[in-house]
Amino acid sequence: MSRSPLLDQKVFQAMRAVSAAAKKGLGDPVLAELVMIRASQVNHCAFCLDMHLGIARGNGESEDRIQLLDAWEEAEGRYTERERAALALTEAVTVLTDGFVPDEVYEAAAKLFDETELAHLISLITVINSWNRLMVSRRVPPGGRQA
Amino acid sequence: MTTTNKTPNTAPDTAQDAASDTTANTTANAAAKTAGYAPERAPRLEWAKHAPEVYKAMIRLDTAAKQGLDARLYELVKIRASQLNHCAFCLDMHTKDALAAGESVERIVQLSAWEESRHFYTEKELAAIELTEAITVLTDGFVPDEVYDRAAGLFEEAELAQLIAAITVINAWNRFGVTTRMTPGHYRPGRHA
Repeated sequence: MSRSPLLDQKVFQAMRAVSAAAKKGLGDPVLAELVMIRASQVNHCAFCLDMHLGIARGNGESEDRIQLLDAWEEAEGRYTERERAALALTEAVTVLTDGFVPDEVYEAAAKLFDETELAHLISLITVINSWNRLMVSRRVPPGGRQA
Repeated sequence: MTTTNKTPNTAPDTAQDAASDTTANTTANAAAKTAGYAPERAPRLEWAKHAPEVYKAMIRLDTAAKQGLDARLYELVKIRASQLNHCAFCLDMHTKDALAAGESVERIVQLSAWEESRHFYTEKELAAIELTEAITVLTDGFVPDEVYDRAAGLFEEAELAQLIAAITVINAWNRFGVTTRMTPGHYRPGRHA
C-alpha cells in the first residue's frame, strides 16, 4: 500500500509559521541549516536532507562542513564553539527517547547563546524534528510535494 | 524515605482550628505527605516568554492538528508519546485532562504496556498508539509499512493525516517541555484541553 501525502493546509501553514518565527528569532541562517541537516540525519529524513543540503549550498556553505557534519564531534576546527554547542543540543533534543537533555549539553549552549537565541534555537530544533516526522511518516520523496 | 502523617508544625492545635480551617488542614496534610520528597526544580528557561511568536504559531498548529480527531483517542496518543519522550510536564497535563474527560485510570496505567493489554483498547486506538510509537522513535528506523498500513486501513485518509499531524505536534510539545524542563504538578485539568 502506498502512503497518502495528505496534509491539512492549516497544519502546513502553521508549521511554516513556527519555522519562520524560529529562524527569524535565531538570526543565524548558516547555523540554522547545520542544525536542520543534523536533525534530519539523525531522524533519517530524505526529503528534509535534500531540501536543507540545497539551501545550505545555496547559502555558500562549504562541502567540507556539510560532509563532516555526521562526525562533527571528531571534526575539530571545522565548526565554531557556538555551532558545536548547537549541534550537541540538536542531538540531545532529537533523541529524547534515550534519556533527558543532559545538564552539560544544555549548559554549554546556555553559556554561548542568550536566552532569546536559545529559546529560538530550541524552537528550530523542535520544528525540524516536526518536519522530519511529517515527511518520514508520509514517505514524501526527496524533492516531492510537501503538502 | 520516611514520611509522617502528622508533624508538630502542621497539625491543628485544637479541634476548633481543624473545624474552622479545613483548607489549611488539607494543605498541611499534603505538605506533611511530601516532606521527604526531592525539592521541586525551577524550569531551565521560560521559552514561550523569549519566543512569543513561536509559541503563538505552536498554539495555531496545535488547534489545526486536532481538528477531526476523536478527543479520547487523541489524549491516549498524547500520553503515550509523552511517556516515550519522558516529558513530565506533558504527562501531568494530559493524564489530568484525560481523567477529567472521563478516561479510566486503568486505560491510562496500562498504556505503557498496551501490547499486553490490547483488550483495554479498540482496534483503532491500538493502531493509533502503534503509529504514535513509530513516529516518535524515528531514530531507530523508519515508520514500518505494517504499522502505517494498519492505521491506513482503519482511519479515513483525512483522519490519518490529522493523526500524523497530532502525533508530530505532541512530539514538539514534548521537546519544549523536556529541553526547558517545564515543571510538572501544577496543571489544572481543562486549561489546555
